Amino acid sequence: MSLNSSSITQADVAPKQPLLRLDAVGKTFGTHVVLEDIDLSLAAGEVVAIIGPSGSGKSTLLRCINQLEPPTTGRVTIGDTTIEAGHTPTRRELMVLRRSIGMVFQSFNLFPHLTVLRNVSLAQERVMGRTREQADAVSMQLLARVGLADKAQQFPSRCSGGQQQRIAIARALALDPQIMLFDEPTSALDPELGLEVLSVMRELAEGGMTMIVVTHEMRFAENVSDRVIIMADGRIVEQGPSGTVMRNPQTERAQRFLHAVKDR
Amino acid sequence: MTQDMLLTMVSGVPWTIALTAVALLIGVVLGIPLCAMRMSKLVVLRMVANTLILTLRAIPPIVWLFFIFFGLDTGYVSLNPFQAAAIGLGLITAANMAEIYRGAMSAIHSGQSEASMALGLSTYHRFFDVLGPQLFRVALPSAASYAIGLLKDSAIASTIGVHEIAFEASHVSQRTFRGLDVYAVAGLLYILLSLPIAWASRWADLHLRARVAR
Ligand SMILES: Nc1ncnc2c1ncn2[C@@H]1O[C@H](COP(=O)(O)OP(=O)(O)OP(=O)(O)O)[C@@H](O)[C@H]1O
Ligand SMILES: [Mg+2]
Repeated sequence: MSLNSSSITQADVAPKQPLLRLDAVGKTFGTHVVLEDIDLSLAAGEVVAIIGPSGSGKSTLLRCINQLEPPTTGRVTIGDTTIEAGHTPTRRELMVLRRSIGMVFQSFNLFPHLTVLRNVSLAQERVMGRTREQADAVSMQLLARVGLADKAQQFPSRCSGGQQQRIAIARALALDPQIMLFDEPTSALDPELGLEVLSVMRELAEGGMTMIVVTHEMRFAENVSDRVIIMADGRIVEQGPSGTVMRNPQTERAQRFLHAVKDR
Repeated sequence: MTQDMLLTMVSGVPWTIALTAVALLIGVVLGIPLCAMRMSKLVVLRMVANTLILTLRAIPPIVWLFFIFFGLDTGYVSLNPFQAAAIGLGLITAANMAEIYRGAMSAIHSGQSEASMALGLSTYHRFFDVLGPQLFRVALPSAASYAIGLLKDSAIASTIGVHEIAFEASHVSQRTFRGLDVYAVAGLLYILLSLPIAWASRWADLHLRARVAR
């Protein structure tokens, strides 16, 4: 590569704003420090996998990003909205933040009293102000995309876990989020059902969605994500391109963790 | 037992139903803010709610009715027996409903609230679209058995002169010097009234239960 082309790359990359940025984010419950000094920035289209031992703060980190858990220190910036720890965000800021960020939970958390279609439509009507017809039309498209158009009129309890999780993905996508957060989306599923969820996620990633995925699926982390973050004791202990981190971790803590889970 | 006696007793049925229904309505509605206060983040509100609930539940209903009917009747407020009984039983029901709601709330998975918030739903929509309907379903069986209890407890309104079933029964009994058959009929009337509540609640429970997160 010539000097020339590398300088062009520099110029191209430098002004480009990250989609999401965390600066020195920390979270303490009482005296229990759960997250410490987390810096993270995410470019549009990037897929980041977060792995790490149980209790290392992975879920808490995701929940701090969309303010389900207000961080005790630091800043979360998405687009031109910055939420500073210690200042209660305004309703507007919260709304902007949560519309921009979709979240998928380990336990699906579908609304059991609503049909699958209403599950996907509800927030479109209440948050985006779409009419029932508009919302239902969007929902049907999304349900078709996750392969569940035929379940639209069913209640969630009649769907398998894998189907429920795909519905939950459709529900989050319905608000046109810029970023999707996944908190161990397959951990509550049999491996086989997990696969159908993973394949939907893989398609999303290939379609250019920006994603943060907390996962125990080492293969997903290695093959689908661009970047892997390893957390331990509330800190990021190692991060980098997925191939490098997964196959050739540098820090002792990361090596220990990957060794312990290498059979999965 | 003559037809006349029977008719007199049946004439108490509408009053029993009305008293139970009004007290239940008052309780179901007032129980919501009371429960909200009980679960508030503000210590003061919680303390007020706790005190109210404790007082309403610790004092026997009959004492409440006497207190409201005889005690409050000081010239400014003048309540007829039905109003006094409805208010008294209604307030007691509110305290109990608040506790039933609170129990139901804890039975709803916290993930429901989190999913609503993550979707950007406002507090209002979170309650009315997501939590409320599920609360209703979870609270229904306990609320129904409370309603049956209330139906029976409404008999104490006879002591302040509401012409409901128990009042009419004791009236007939005193007039005719008959006890056994008169009170047996009264008992039967209460059974007949509570059956539909039990059936409706069982039916609703069967049909709605599957749609609540566990
Ligand atoms: N609401 C809370 N109150 C107090 N402590 C909490 C709370 N939420 C989480 N914690 C603590 O924070 C630590 C990190 O929890 P977190 O759920 O983020 O871990 P995790 O990495 O997601 O673990 P897992 O892999 O088991 O899901 C744990 O020690 C947990 O007990
Ligand atoms: Mg977790």
